[in-house]
Amino acid sequence: MFATVGMVILAIGLVEFLYFERPGEASGIKAHIVGVFAYDPATKQVNGPDRSEFPRSGQFAAVVDWSSLPANLVVDARWYDSFGSLEGEAGPGNASGLTSDSVIPVQVPPGFRFVLPGRYTFVVERIEGGVPVEVLGRRFVVVDRT
Amino acid sequence: MITQTTPPAADPESRLRPARYGVAITVTALVILALVASSILNYVYLDTIPARASLYGLLAVALITLGTYILVRAFDRDRATRRVHLIRAAVLIGLGVLLWLLVIDVFVFTQSAGPGVAVVCALACLPTTAFGLFVVRRMDRNHKEPWRLVLVAAAWGAIVATSLVVWGETLWESSAQHALVPGPGLDTSLAFMAGILEELAKGVAVLLLFLVMRDQFDDVVDGIVYGAAVGLGFNFLESVSYMTNLYSIYLPEGNGVFAAGIQWYGRQALGLFFGHATYTAYIGAGVGIARQLPGMRHKVLAIVAGFIVAISAHFSWDAWATIFPIQNSLFGIVEVHLRTLVMTGPFTAGVIALLLFGIRYEGQNLVEQMRKEAATGQGAILPEDVAILSSPWQRLKQRLQAFSRAGLKGYLELSRLQTAQLDLAMERWHRERKEIDTPLEAEQRLRERVIQLRHWVAAG
Repeated sequence: MFATVGMVILAIGLVEFLYFERPGEASGIKAHIVGVFAYDPATKQVNGPDRSEFPRSGQFAAVVDWSSLPANLVVDARWYDSFGSLEGEAGPGNASGLTSDSVIPVQVPPGFRFVLPGRYTFVVERIEGGVPVEVLGRRFVVVDRT
Repeated sequence: MITQTTPPAADPESRLRPARYGVAITVTALVILALVASSILNYVYLDTIPARASLYGLLAVALITLGTYILVRAFDRDRATRRVHLIRAAVLIGLGVLLWLLVIDVFVFTQSAGPGVAVVCALACLPTTAFGLFVVRRMDRNHKEPWRLVLVAAAWGAIVATSLVVWGETLWESSAQHALVPGPGLDTSLAFMAGILEELAKGVAVLLLFLVMRDQFDDVVDGIVYGAAVGLGFNFLESVSYMTNLYSIYLPEGNGVFAAGIQWYGRQALGLFFGHATYTAYIGAGVGIARQLPGMRHKVLAIVAGFIVAISAHFSWDAWATIFPIQNSLFGIVEVHLRTLVMTGPFTAGVIALLLFGIRYEGQNLVEQMRKEAATGQGAILPEDVAILSSPWQRLKQRLQAFSRAGLKGYLELSRLQTAQLDLAMERWHRERKEIDTPLEAEQRLRERVIQLRHWVAAG
């Protein structure tokens, strides 16, 4: 009986995984992520070179070339921290409608002075039926503890 | 003249013992291969784990495994050679621990909170883990497991199992983060990762104890004790790791101690018995049930069923704990407790049910064997002993009476006598079921030891 319950739980987990990670969703489309740069929240502008590591005290943002995607494709862009929490986003919407959101900064959590250290993941996702089904572009950034 | 040096086995047709050791060696070799392969892959493809740490870690695991094996087997040797083997085991385990501390230093401490904070976190987790092990061992009311094996199980959970999963999980996590869509799909994949890899890594310890130390692995109760002990060991090091990591993350915001404290409470107080101890207890229960099943097919099925329940219990917590709403208010504290109770409580209740069933079944059979032994009139167990030996409270009462009569010496001598009498009953039970490899002469030696202890107690 115990093992049957266990099998049912694992089967539900597998169904959940397949719902969110649907097979056969690869479209071959690639989003062009220009880079991840230091970000000035006062001017809302990026500066400096493309980097994959930042100090804790520094803010940063990804820059996406939305014109690299078909204009009517429904997409979004998101930052996740190392706990899997959403820490900044643009969209969802048609790629053509997101051109004014080409700079997507990581948000400092409310009540905090700095972003949390760890590994951040930036993704540009294709949306279908309100659910992200494919990653069109991906970058990883490490925020140092000091 | 031909003299027989090896007494005949109780079940002369039993060929299980050599096969068991063969399986144990194969499992150990697979574990070592998995460690080597995973660390090489990490070194080649990932930059998150320094090569130095991989090297030290592998060596530490090898030393602790070898030292543990020598330590456990040392107690089966005669007194003359036991000391030498104990020293060898202590040196190997000591070296392994030192190397492991270096690995921890690299992984956790130097890169996050620093060694001072790590020591404080470890000290904070020690009393609770020790309490957990004490309670888990006490659960076996009829026939307690030796401390050395309970501690070996906990040490495997803390050191070897964590080593296995560090590399395995790094690979899985990195591959998943590169391939999957962030969100529920990735979270589910990581929950499968934790459930499968961590339970396999912990379960190997229980399986090896079952294969190598059959004499001390009697039934489902023993399996639950060993499994929970492995889980508590794993939980200890995981708690230290999370506490130091979150301390360093939140320290610049002024919340470092609070973050570490929350982790301590969640893992060492609220989750002490509900988390890893419960999951791995299911593996132990499966192995313990297999111990008393006839036929290889039934044994394998029981062991696989134990692993499936453990993996699913672990998976369900990692995958769905966040579904349970936790408000950012005072009521959130209540909700955190409710979440643990609702999500892991049913699994813990299942373990407790198996444990109670096992204790009852074991108790009934021991009483029957004690009655049969008393009926032989050989004097190891007397008819009037049966009622006392079958009740933990009566045994304690008798020991306390001995204490008041003859002090600590009297208490300890009687305790040894009671343990030997229960050992004899257990031996008889396994022999009757043909679950034992040791020869009939071993049972007679045990009987003689009981009679000798009885004389000492009477003389004292």
